[in-house]
Amino acid sequence: MGSDLDQYLGDIVRGDSDAFGHWIAAAEPALRRSLVRYRASVDVEIVVQETLLRVWQLAPRVQADGQPNCLLRWASRCAKNLALDELRRSRRFVPSDEVAEIELAEPAIEADVLLRERIADCQRRLPEKPGLALQARIDSAGGAPDETLAGMLSMKLNTFHQNLARARKLLAECLRRAGIEWGFDAETGRTP
Amino acid sequence: MTPEDETLIEQVVGAYRGRDVTSDRIQEHPAFADLDAAGRERAYWVTLDNRRLEAALDPNGLSTTGNLVLSRIRAALPR
Repeated sequence: MGSDLDQYLGDIVRGDSDAFGHWIAAAEPALRRSLVRYRASVDVEIVVQETLLRVWQLAPRVQADGQPNCLLRWASRCAKNLALDELRRSRRFVPSDEVAEIELAEPAIEADVLLRERIADCQRRLPEKPGLALQARIDSAGGAPDETLAGMLSMKLNTFHQNLARARKLLAECLRRAGIEWGFDAETGRTP
Repeated sequence: MTPEDETLIEQVVGAYRGRDVTSDRIQEHPAFADLDAAGRERAYWVTLDNRRLEAALDPNGLSTTGNLVLSRIRAALPR
């Protein structure tokens, strides 16, 4: 069921970073998916990061319009403008047969507790090196380049990346055995 | 996909991005430019998977992107 993330807006405007954390946790998936049209042309990660920073800075200027999720809708418009800026900068283009802009998905505040437990259980079952590589990525939270993380684990960079790919593959297999469809499907090019 | 492509995709899937020294603008990952359109598309879908996975394993439900942005914001807050 969807939720109105504007319940956090007042606290965000007052500078409450914990409230912004709650907003990000629920909003990021919808925001990232709203950029699907640009996936082959723009590094979506930089657009998502820059958008979230601007939401924090500019939230006091966002005017509620009586509809739910005004901050998320504002963020989505900001993200698309940033994606277009990146397109112009890179001189790439969106293929003409590409899908049109998609509707912003409903965000969900409540976490799927069972899914979290299954994922944590599957993570515990990973072999040592893939597990270490995955945990290093999570622990670094994007704060260090892969060369640094690989060095901390005494792995060659290529080995570090192979271990990450293996960790994801094993996690997806483990989750599928538990009845949870998970992961990028190379056949269809889609996620469940 | 070649093994080289898979390595490039793994780099793009991470949340780490460099910043321009003068403008502080977040920069496109160099590996993104080395991928063809199919590889970039695959990196997008794998990133969606990864962020969902990271958020599920995080006590606050945040992906590495979410944690990265919040840590930058908190570092800039007055103490």
